[in-house]
Formats: sequence, C-alpha cells, structure tokens
Amino acid sequence: MTILFPISVLGTLIVVLAIRLLAQSGRRPAVTVDEYAKAREALDAVFVETAMIKRIFSLEDAEFVARSATPDVTRSFLNERKKLALHWFRRTRKQLAALMDLHLRLAGYTYDPSPGFELRLTAKYLTFVAVSNIVLLLVWLLGPFKATRSISYAIRVAGSLCTTFSVLLERVNPTGLSSGRQSLVH
Amino acid sequence: METHVIWLVGISLAAVVLIRGGQAGNFRKYPLFYSYIGSVLLNEIVALLCYQFARDFYGPLYWPTELATIVASYAVMVEIFRQSLRHNPGIARKGLKLLLAAFALTVGYAATDLLHGQFANATRAIAEVGRDLRYIEGALLLLLLWLFVRYRILLGPNLLGLIVGYSFWVGINVINLALVFLPDNEFSAVARRLEPITYVATLTIWCVALWASRPEPVQPTEGAIERDYELLAAKTRSILARIGL
Repeated sequence: MTILFPISVLGTLIVVLAIRLLAQSGRRPAVTVDEYAKAREALDAVFVETAMIKRIFSLEDAEFVARSATPDVTRSFLNERKKLALHWFRRTRKQLAALMDLHLRLAGYTYDPSPGFELRLTAKYLTFVAVSNIVLLLVWLLGPFKATRSISYAIRVAGSLCTTFSVLLERVNPTGLSSGRQSLVH
Repeated sequence: METHVIWLVGISLAAVVLIRGGQAGNFRKYPLFYSYIGSVLLNEIVALLCYQFARDFYGPLYWPTELATIVASYAVMVEIFRQSLRHNPGIARKGLKLLLAAFALTVGYAATDLLHGQFANATRAIAEVGRDLRYIEGALLLLLLWLFVRYRILLGPNLLGLIVGYSFWVGINVINLALVFLPDNEFSAVARRLEPITYVATLTIWCVALWASRPEPVQPTEGAIERDYELLAAKTRSILARIGL
C-alpha cells in the first residue's frame, strides 16, 4: 500500500502538468524587443525606487512629525506613508513578477540555464513573494513604522533579485529578439 | 461483448491515426511516434487473433507483449524530447542531463527491487519489469513536462496534442498499474476496466490532434533580426536622450 501513494501522486502530477501545458499553449511565450526594453526600464525604476523607498519607512521622519506636528497632521502623514508603502510594495511585486516571467521565457532560447542558479533564483523569488505578502499585511494592519525589520528584509530581497535580473538581462543578445509586430518563433 | 467493442474501436482508431499520419505527411515529422503506433496496432491485432482463435496462447503472451509495447513507448519520449527542444539548445542540454540522471536513478532502484523480489514465475517477473519501466517512463515524462511548463516552451498544435495524449495515457496507466499490482484491492477491478477506456481516449486525442499537419514554430529570418536590432538601437538612443547623456 505504501507504493500506491507516491505512484498515484506521480500519475496525477503528469495529468495535471499536461493540462497546464495545454492551458498555457494559447499564450505568447516569445519575447519581443518592446518587452525587453520595458523590462530594462522596470528594472531601472525598481533600482532607483528601492534606494528611495527606505525614506518612506524612515523612523526619523515619523519621530520628527510626532514631536512637532498636530495630531491631525500626524494622522495624515501616517495615512500618506501607509498608502505610499502599500502602493510601492504592490508595484514592485508586479514588476518583479513580470521580470521573472520574462526571465523564464528568455531562458528558453537565449542562454544556457544552470540548474543550481535556477533553483537559487526560484527560491529567492518565492521568498520575496512570501515576505512581501507578510509585509503588505503588516503595513496594512500596523502602518509603515511598526514592521521595520520585515520591511527592510523585503527591500533587501527585492534589491538582490533586481541585481540578478540585471545580470541576466545583460547576457541577452537583443538581436535574437523580435519586434512587437511578430513573435520570435511564429 | 463490451471488451470486444473497446478492442475493435482501439484497433480502428490506431489504424486511423496511422493512415491519417501517412496522408497528412506527419510520418516524416514524427517517425518514432508512428513506429510506436504501428507496433501497438500489430500487438493489438495479434492479441485479438490469439484471443479469438488460440485462447491458450493469449495468457502467456499478454505480459511479454505488454512489456514490448512499454519499451516501444520510450520512442515517443525520445520523439517528444527531440521535437520540442529543437530551438532551445540550452534547455535541451540541461534537460538531457537531468533525464539521464533520473533514468539512471530509477533504473537502479527498479533493478534492486527486481533482484530482491521473490517471483513465483517468469510471467510475474516480466509483468513487474513492465510496471517498473512504466514508472520510470512516468518519472521522466514528469520531468519533461515540468521543463516545458516552467520555460514556456512553444509547441506546435500537432506536437502539443501528441504530448497531451501521451501524458494522459502514461499518467493514468501508472496509477492503474499501481492498483493492479496491489493484492486484495477493491480498486484493482475498476483499474482493469478503466485501462482500455483510457487507451481509446488517448487514441482519440491523437486522432484529432494529428488529423492534419499543422505548422511548427519557426526561427526568425535574418531580415527580421536586422530590423529588430535597428529598432532596439533607436530605443536605446531615445532612452539616452531622455536621461540627458
């Protein structure tokens, strides 16, 4: 009976992946120059914003406002910072998801993927997704100045992912990509 | 009666897949796959004739022919690997290494299992080798499917249908075999009845997917690459202008 469980899982996974393959067949996997250029822009934006975003969560600002402003101004300041933080996390998550998607599609035909590197990148990306979800919840519940350790960890992971993606995009030869008008392989 | 109907439908469908393959020109595209279908069809016809006219031979012949069919089905795996990763040399190289490692590991495990097994007769031993080969095939196919899904490998409609049908057949077959070999399991009878239906369903998928030859994805032309490079150069110039360099 012990063999039945792993074998059933194996059979089920095969059928599930086949269905998944069928479902993704309609989507366009080829990367266009437009997408490549957009990815570079997104990457630059995340790099610049990651450096600036630390200011949003700066405790110095919060302490200064708490000391010198009226309660209304403090409340408004906290609300604005919270909105800004949530917006930044959501946008960064979206941009990193797009970069990961682009990497997987590019890896298919542009460079030699190394299993070790792929595994590390996937682990890093999944860590970022998990941490950013927790951070979003914490910021939403407690505000941007209460969960500083998780926030700085998420920012560090985002920065590290961006560095990896930047290196990967440098290795892409854009002449192998197609324009927005037609896909690479169709 | 019911068994006979399914058997005849299976034979007819396999014959249709072969005939349409020849007419649509898919033979040249997927020679290994059609060789497999040919061997399955031959096996089914011989089995049916044995069952009708020489039933004494049917029992002893069943597992050896089943084993031969399972070995032949590895050709479909080679065909899928060869055709799907033609334009992805990086993934093909890594995939081949992964597949070979998985193959060596599972064969090693199955061989150890076989050496330590207590077999009452040769038929049982052949049946268990066939089952283990199917498990290995399942593990390799899972790895291949994972590569296709993860790297969004672009597949043509014919190849996609071939892969989906094959995955459906191997996936259900792996579960069936696990159930069939379990002693005193009430699902064994259901599994035995389900197998021919799965086989007919798989042949139907192949029949539909390979009815006509559809174009496979192709590489871009030299002109397109030049045009794309010009486009990229223009984009770079505009970005440099925007940041004031």
